[in-house]
Amino acid sequence: MKAVVKIENVTKIIKKRKIIDSLSFEVMEGEVFGFLGPNGAGKTTTIRMIVGLIGISEGDIKILGNSVQTNFEKAIQHVGAIVENPEMYKFMSGYQNLLHYAKMSEGITKEKIMETVEFVGLTERIHDKVKTYSLGMRQRLGLAQCLLHDPKVLILDEPTNGLDPAGIREIRDHVRKLARERGMAVIVSSHLLSEMEMMCDRVGIIQKGKLITIQSVHEQVEGGAKEYEIDVDHPTEAMFAVNRLIPQQQAEVKGNTLMLRAQKEDIPLLVKEWVHDGINIYRIQETTKTLEDRFLEVTTLQKEAE
Amino acid sequence: MFSLIRNEWVKIFKRSGTYVMIGILLFIVAVAGAFMKYQDVQGSVPPNEQWQKGLQMEIDSYQKELENSGDMLPEDVKESYEKIIAINEYRIENNISPNGDYEALSFISDMSSLIDFAGLFMIIIAGGIVASEFNWGTIKLLLIRPITRSKILLSKYITVLLFGFSLLFLLFIFSGILGLVLFGLGGSEPYLLYQDGVVKEQSMILHLINVYSLSSIQNIMLATMAFMISSAFRSSSLAIGLSIFLMFAGGQITHLIAMKYDWAKYSLFANTDLFQYFEGTPMLPGMTLTFSVIMLIVYFLIFQIIAFIIFKKRDIAG
Repeated sequence: MKAVVKIENVTKIIKKRKIIDSLSFEVMEGEVFGFLGPNGAGKTTTIRMIVGLIGISEGDIKILGNSVQTNFEKAIQHVGAIVENPEMYKFMSGYQNLLHYAKMSEGITKEKIMETVEFVGLTERIHDKVKTYSLGMRQRLGLAQCLLHDPKVLILDEPTNGLDPAGIREIRDHVRKLARERGMAVIVSSHLLSEMEMMCDRVGIIQKGKLITIQSVHEQVEGGAKEYEIDVDHPTEAMFAVNRLIPQQQAEVKGNTLMLRAQKEDIPLLVKEWVHDGINIYRIQETTKTLEDRFLEVTTLQKEAE
Repeated sequence: MFSLIRNEWVKIFKRSGTYVMIGILLFIVAVAGAFMKYQDVQGSVPPNEQWQKGLQMEIDSYQKELENSGDMLPEDVKESYEKIIAINEYRIENNISPNGDYEALSFISDMSSLIDFAGLFMIIIAGGIVASEFNWGTIKLLLIRPITRSKILLSKYITVLLFGFSLLFLLFIFSGILGLVLFGLGGSEPYLLYQDGVVKEQSMILHLINVYSLSSIQNIMLATMAFMISSAFRSSSLAIGLSIFLMFAGGQITHLIAMKYDWAKYSLFANTDLFQYFEGTPMLPGMTLTFSVIMLIVYFLIFQIIAFIIFKKRDIAG
C-alpha cells in the first residue's frame, strides 16, 4: 500500500494562537482514515488545509507527491471533498450543479455525470431544483459532486451530521464501497465514535490541535489475549486459582466480579479448577474495548498529564 | 477559462433577479417611447416658421440675466447660459431648426441617459458575484477545484464586464428598434457640440458612439470598485450600497471639495466623466484628458490588485 496523502509537520497559527500544532500522518490507498476529536480540536481546520481552503503556517501537505501549497492545481485534481455541509446553488437543479462543477475539471462527460448520479441514487430527482431537496438528498448530491472526477482521495468533513439513521447507513456503505472497490483513500472526520468505529480502518485522535494517537479500529489485543468478566460467589478464591494456573496474567476483583485477561484456551481450564474448588460461576463474558473506551482513556490521560 | 465564464454566466441567468433588472430597463424605454409618441412635448420654441424669433428671445433673456447678475452666478450656471446662447446663435446662423423631425437616432440619444441605469445593474452584479458565493457557502466547493483562485476571480470579473456590455447592447438595440417603429428613420439631424465657446456639428451616430463608450468607462470603474469591495469584504450589500451611493453622490462630493481644495482632481469621480473634455470645461484647471486617463488606469489597477491579493490570501473558514 502506498501513502496517498502525507501530512508533514503541519502547523496553523491564527492570531498568534496555535490552532494546529505540528501534525503528521499519512493516509494509505484503499483505507478509510477517521479523524476523531472533540468539537474545536482542529479537525475542520486540518481538512481545510488539506484542500487548500486555508493556508498552512508551517510544514506541508502532499497529495500523490504534489504539494497543495506550491502545486495546488496538480494536487487538488485528485481530491474530492465535502467540507462541512455541501452547500449547492439552490436556484439550480441538481444536474445543473453537477454540470457546473464538471466543467471545472477536465474530461468529465455527461454519461459520467449520470453514472455518478445513479451511484448515489438521485436519478429520479436530479432535474429538480436543489431548494426542494431534503438534507439527505443534498448530502447525496454533495457526494456525487466529489466523485465526478474519479478522485484518488475522498475527504468528508462530518458527513453524517444531521442525517437520519438510514442516511447515515447509506453514507457509511458508500464510503466503505469506494475504499474497497475503487481503492480511494478516504478521510472522514467526526466526533461520533460509534460512527467512526463502523466506518474506518484507522482512527487518528486529535485534541487541542495535537495528534494524540493513531489506532487501528479492529485492533487485536496483543498476543490474542482478551478481557473477561466473570461473576462468581467467591471472587477472592477464584482469583487465587487464576494466580495458580496462569501466573503471568493479572486478575482483579470488583465486587462479585472477577476481571481478568487470558487466552481463550485458558478459560475451560479455569472453569474446571473453579468447579473443583466448589466456586459457583454465574456469568462469563468476553469484553472488547470499544473505541469509545479507548478514546476516553486517551483523552482523559491527556487531561491528567496537563 | 471559457467554461469558467460560461459557468458564471449561467449562474447569473438562473436567477430571477437578473430578468427583473433587464425587464425594468426595457420597460422604462418602452414607457418613454410611448410618452414621446403620444404626448406632444411642447418646447419653449414655437413649432412653426417663427422658431428663429423664439430662439432670439431666449438668447436675449439669458444675455440680460448674465449682464444683470453675471458676477453673482455660480460658474457652472453661467457656463450653461453661455452654452444655450452659443447653440441658439449657431442654429439661427446656419438655419438649423430645433423642431427637426424626431426620429430613431434622436430617440436612442434621449434613451442614452439610461446607460446610468445599466451601470447600476452592472454594479449589482459586480457586488454580488463574489460575495454571494460566500453567503451561499458555495465558495468552499468552488475553490477546491483544480483551478487557481486568480483564474476564478478573473473569470468572474470578465463575466461582470460581459454582463455590462450586454446590457448596453440591449439598451441600444431595443431603443433603436422601438425608435424605428415609433418614429421612423428621418433626415439625419446633426448633433450640436459646444466646447470652449465654439459650436461644432457632429453626426448623430458619432455622437451616440461617443456617449456609449464614454459612459461605459464610468460604469466599468464603478463596477470594478464594487467588485473589489465584494471580493475583499465578502459583503454584497456593502459593495452595492457604497458603489451606488458614490455613483450618485461621488460627483457632487468631489465638486464640493474641488471648490476649496485642488487635490480634488486626484479623486476618482473628478475623472470618471470624460465628457468634460469633449463638451464643456474640466472640473478643475490643469486637468487634461491624458491626466484623467492616467488617473483612471491607476485607480483601476489599485482596485484589481486589492481584489486579487485579498482573494488569493484569504482563509476560507466558517
